[in-house]
Amino acid sequence: MYGYHGKIARINLSTGKISVEKIDEDFAKKWLGTRGFGIHTLLKEIDPKVDPLSEGNKIIYSTGPLTGTAAPTGGRYMVITKSPLTGYIAMSNSGGFFGAELKFAGWDYLIVEGKSENPVYISIKDDDIEIKDASHIWGKKVSETERILLEEFGDKHAQIASIGPAGENLVKFSAIMNNGHRAAARGGVGAVMGSKKLKAIIVRGHKKTPLADRQKFISVVKEKINKLKNDPVAGSGLPKYGTAVLVNIINQNGLYPTRNFRSGVFEYAEEQSGEAMAAKYLKKNKPCYACPIGCGRVNVISSVGETEGPEYESLWALGAHLGINDLGSIIEANHICDEMGLDTISTGGTLATAMELYDRGILKQEDLGDAPPLRFGNTEVLHYYIKKIAKREGFGAKLAEGGYRLAESYGYIDAFMGVKKQELPAYDPRGAEGHGLGYATDNRGGDHIKAYMISPEILGYPVKMDPHDISDEKVKMLILFQDLTAVIDAAGLCVFTTFGLVADDYRDMLNAAMGWDLSTEEYLKIGERIWNAEHLFNLKAGLTAEEDTLPKRLTDEPMPEGPNKGHVVRLKEMLPRYYALRGWRDNGEISEEKIKELGLEEYL
Amino acid sequence: MPKVKFFATLREITGKREEIIKGDTVEDVLNTLYREYGEEFRKELRERSMILVNGKNIKHLEGLKTKVREEDTISIFPPAGGG
Repeated sequence: MYGYHGKIARINLSTGKISVEKIDEDFAKKWLGTRGFGIHTLLKEIDPKVDPLSEGNKIIYSTGPLTGTAAPTGGRYMVITKSPLTGYIAMSNSGGFFGAELKFAGWDYLIVEGKSENPVYISIKDDDIEIKDASHIWGKKVSETERILLEEFGDKHAQIASIGPAGENLVKFSAIMNNGHRAAARGGVGAVMGSKKLKAIIVRGHKKTPLADRQKFISVVKEKINKLKNDPVAGSGLPKYGTAVLVNIINQNGLYPTRNFRSGVFEYAEEQSGEAMAAKYLKKNKPCYACPIGCGRVNVISSVGETEGPEYESLWALGAHLGINDLGSIIEANHICDEMGLDTISTGGTLATAMELYDRGILKQEDLGDAPPLRFGNTEVLHYYIKKIAKREGFGAKLAEGGYRLAESYGYIDAFMGVKKQELPAYDPRGAEGHGLGYATDNRGGDHIKAYMISPEILGYPVKMDPHDISDEKVKMLILFQDLTAVIDAAGLCVFTTFGLVADDYRDMLNAAMGWDLSTEEYLKIGERIWNAEHLFNLKAGLTAEEDTLPKRLTDEPMPEGPNKGHVVRLKEMLPRYYALRGWRDNGEISEEKIKELGLEEYL
Repeated sequence: MPKVKFFATLREITGKREEIIKGDTVEDVLNTLYREYGEEFRKELRERSMILVNGKNIKHLEGLKTKVREEDTISIFPPAGGG
């Protein structure tokens, strides 16, 4: 078998037992990698109704076949577990260098199960895996954790995935961090580590991924790298301005969510755009492992010195979403989120919910005591509450539960802008209705990256579609994006490659690596299998069609201003067709035929 | 006369964030810009660029023939992506 080491590690933190298991080629052809391996494990091994923060939940750290190879962006790993935020599946991935190192150590994936009594970390030196005491780093921020562990490990090339105080304190939207500023952020995966008292995983490896025909693989990869380098977006736009170039684009298109999605136009967008950040703070761009794009930002601000980011999403969540206009403070807030190990999108989203409650007089200053008023535009809010959330101190304890539970506790659920209890990202779907259908049907709740419909609806790749077209063609495009993204994720690559590559390019690289002869359609079938299996897990966890929905503001309240004025998301008109085109029943359940077609019978 | 807004690399080429340009259609305006800023500007718009009139993509209006009036804003972006 090529592309894989054929080996996985099962690490039980309750018993301390570590065992090695094998995977074979039939299994690899069925699930490909990362999300595929993860959902297989969850469906086989955990009760979908299990409390996500209990001993019964498991957490999988998985590479894909192209992780750790020369394939462009082949450095990604995926964390798959049951989310404490949504109660459904979480599959959050991250770049940087951790994923590649895990693969170098010879592991396709790790299953961590059980729960330790005391803080521990996992140390991996190629074949040797140890569970070690972490009491001396428990409570430390991410940079400090990385520094101490690296010193202890004695090899500066080791890579670390860790949680900050937020994960330890079981914040429902805490992240797993690597390389200081790279995050497997969404769905509260950090809290699952925290609940198992697992502070970090440190890994160093020296193995090459076996490839069917190394020379052929390298020549295919070179061709794809050239394609990316010559692409105007992947080759020049992203390296130059980073993802933040989208601030002005999305704002000019009128779907830049402002003050908790009250508007799609932010009057201060220009002052916190990618252009403004590049002019004032940018030192250089920074690529992840094997990445020819290099969208990462190294910025310098006086308060913290050199830091990385914020990305477009973080910039928005801690800026326009809260009505805040102070780029320096936003960059620092992003830095604090990284240090504490917080998902920036949900941090901003939860604060936006709180601000709406405050603005409506439902949340009162007396609930906050001496803490800063949660007023839209109040910059003071940022640093103060982010630290309080991570430590679950004062009102931070309430915020740490996420926007949904906050709004629910005040009896005003409409203040929460999210799906399946997860806060929405930086696009108001009243200006891109297919993207809205994506939010409503995403297996991990409010999310943009598992089917980035902004690409066809706004940016025009691979074709330009009218953002207000809701025909079957649009629904089919969403399904294609969901399935293709599952393939790219499972391969171990970054979705930003889609700005320069098409589905056939992934097929070429995968076939060359593994010595397979699968067609693009066969790979997309694997993507479809992954998507359906994740949906199956959610159904078993209690998902009903009622939760495949959007906040009322987006379906019932027309956009008040800008180019999308008067528009809502016509979700009710799209959702039944989505189910039908997926081969699902009217109630969102997967039909028997589809289960059979995808070979999912054994998971029922 | 319509107002033209430039973004990303187009700001570096033009040295401006915005400019008032004469023209009755998007095409008229672009031709003036090509004359003014030359090949470098044209090259940036060759593929996958985005042109909006009052926030609406001209691909869903009348393309380059889209009419523009004095109070209109034309936003021009070079190829860009993110997420």
